[in-house]
Amino acid sequence: MKEFQEIFLRYHALLQAAVYGSAVLLILIGLYAVLMKKHLVKIVIGLSIIESGVNLLFVAVGYISNHTAPIFSPGYEHAADKMVDPVPQALVLTAIVIGFATTALALSLVIRLYRHHKTANIEQLKSLRW
Amino acid sequence: MVISPIHYIFVPLATAFLIPLLQKLYKDAARVVPGLVLFYNLVISVILFRRVMQHGTVTEIIAGWRPPFGINLIMTPFSATLASLVSFMAFAVWLYGFRFKRVLKGGEVMYYEILQLMMIAGALGIILTGDLFNLFVFIEITGITAISLVAFYRDRHGAEAGFKYMLLGSLASSFLLLGILLIYTQTGTLNMAQIAQKMPAVDSGVKVIALIFILIALGIEAEMFPLNSWAPDAYSQAPSPTSATFASVLAVAALYALIRVGYTLFDARMISGFLIVMGFLTMLIAEMAAFSQTDLKRMLAYSSIGQMGLAMVAFGIGNETAIFGALFLMINHAVIKALLFMSGSYFIYNLQTKKMDALNGIHKRLPYVSFLFSLGVLAIIGFPPFSGFWSKLYILYGAANKNMLLLIIGILSITLIEMTYYLRVIGRIYFAKEKSEPASHKPSVNALVAMTALALVIIILGIYPDLISGYLHQAGRFLLDKQAYIQTVLSMR
Repeated sequence: MKEFQEIFLRYHALLQAAVYGSAVLLILIGLYAVLMKKHLVKIVIGLSIIESGVNLLFVAVGYISNHTAPIFSPGYEHAADKMVDPVPQALVLTAIVIGFATTALALSLVIRLYRHHKTANIEQLKSLRW
Repeated sequence: MVISPIHYIFVPLATAFLIPLLQKLYKDAARVVPGLVLFYNLVISVILFRRVMQHGTVTEIIAGWRPPFGINLIMTPFSATLASLVSFMAFAVWLYGFRFKRVLKGGEVMYYEILQLMMIAGALGIILTGDLFNLFVFIEITGITAISLVAFYRDRHGAEAGFKYMLLGSLASSFLLLGILLIYTQTGTLNMAQIAQKMPAVDSGVKVIALIFILIALGIEAEMFPLNSWAPDAYSQAPSPTSATFASVLAVAALYALIRVGYTLFDARMISGFLIVMGFLTMLIAEMAAFSQTDLKRMLAYSSIGQMGLAMVAFGIGNETAIFGALFLMINHAVIKALLFMSGSYFIYNLQTKKMDALNGIHKRLPYVSFLFSLGVLAIIGFPPFSGFWSKLYILYGAANKNMLLLIIGILSITLIEMTYYLRVIGRIYFAKEKSEPASHKPSVNALVAMTALALVIIILGIYPDLISGYLHQAGRFLLDKQAYIQTVLSMR
């Protein structure tokens, strides 16, 4: 456990870069899927990948190195200055719930589109144009 | 019971979830109860509007956490004006749609009413909240309910329009979250007043990036030019009372969010050029697209986008006269466009088609509805003595005060395009040769009452604009006075 903490501290900057980098990468992957993919379900997956990226970014921003979870538990009654920022975590919880609702709604719309058009290719949905 | 701004949001939201239970007790609960709730909202909005206008901003602390901690509701004269407008229009739309849903099958009325109530609660939340993340949550509530309402008719077009809205709406929410995140990392708070206070110290590069993210997100919601491809489909595929609600509730709330973030959180000068250019482009493209439409509801939808563009231009000009004009325009647009959607939907209902070719000579079959529709058309173009005249006049006056001659010429030429396509419809209704078929669906009494009330509002505000101009001036002054907003919120007890 102690060894792990040492390794963690030594490579902290690297880890942080990895977390931020993967969050940005997730957002870019999601944007690519939304803009370039033709299949409706893949587009919905792309949307939820973007959301995960944003959520990861939120948690990473709220993290302070070597601090604990923001819970006042036995042994940690007066440790407010030793805790990570709780606000982004609360926001991410809310954002995850909202993301769940939007993904469910999007998938139900995809099912309905598939029933009407017999295709899930976005290029063949052309009944509404300018 | 003490009346406070929280009732605006809590009562409709709670009732929306209780409706399935009430439906078990009383068969017509889903149709009657929302009306009672919206009437209650109307009553408290009258009381709170008077209180705000006489004694200044009303604030509400939720769960005992004083600002800058916790969420609070802030009712400035600006938001009080819009909240009252939204409450009034929500009630008018309910009254109009009371029998409309008989057309639908029994069980679906309940879903329609629940979604409609939640959308209105969300829009009121956007207008009243003082917390940036809370704003995001309310935008999501309105977004999800609006998407469900667009896809309410289970045909192929409904699902397609819903999916388009969904795609852009989800992107908007992600971008909004990114913008909020950037602001939070720089200021360490989510309270809008405290952000506004700490914003001048923030590095301007980060500020611009955050502003871009937020403008993309709110631009999608407020139907700004390159991001508004969802709007015409959404307006035209939704049930007609919902189209009226989109124009009079959703658009107002989205524009409020854009203006509140732009004016209070950031600086009005930072966004004024952007708003003028984008608003003008929005207007130009939307009115030109409206010109080439053959579908009545799509034409009205494009015209709505154009009006939103004009409001953005007016907020971009940003002096007191132009803001007065913009507020007047928001009221006008809400009332007039709702009237046009309401009366237009009776044409569509009678003709069983949305095509405008079928409108020929319909005034013989539906004389009163045609009269109301033409009244709305004249008002929205801005003929005196209707209310649309004053808003356009004051916006042009505001532009003239800043010597923006090109902008004035632009707005007037776009009005010419608007006039052409609207008067073409009037020409069809009154002067084209009719196909003689008897009217199969006369409008119901409650719909007539709602439409007549809106028409009266248009005429009365057109003849006596002084009835509201004092309040609107006060609201505009408060919007421009950022320090007063910060002080009121942060010194709250």
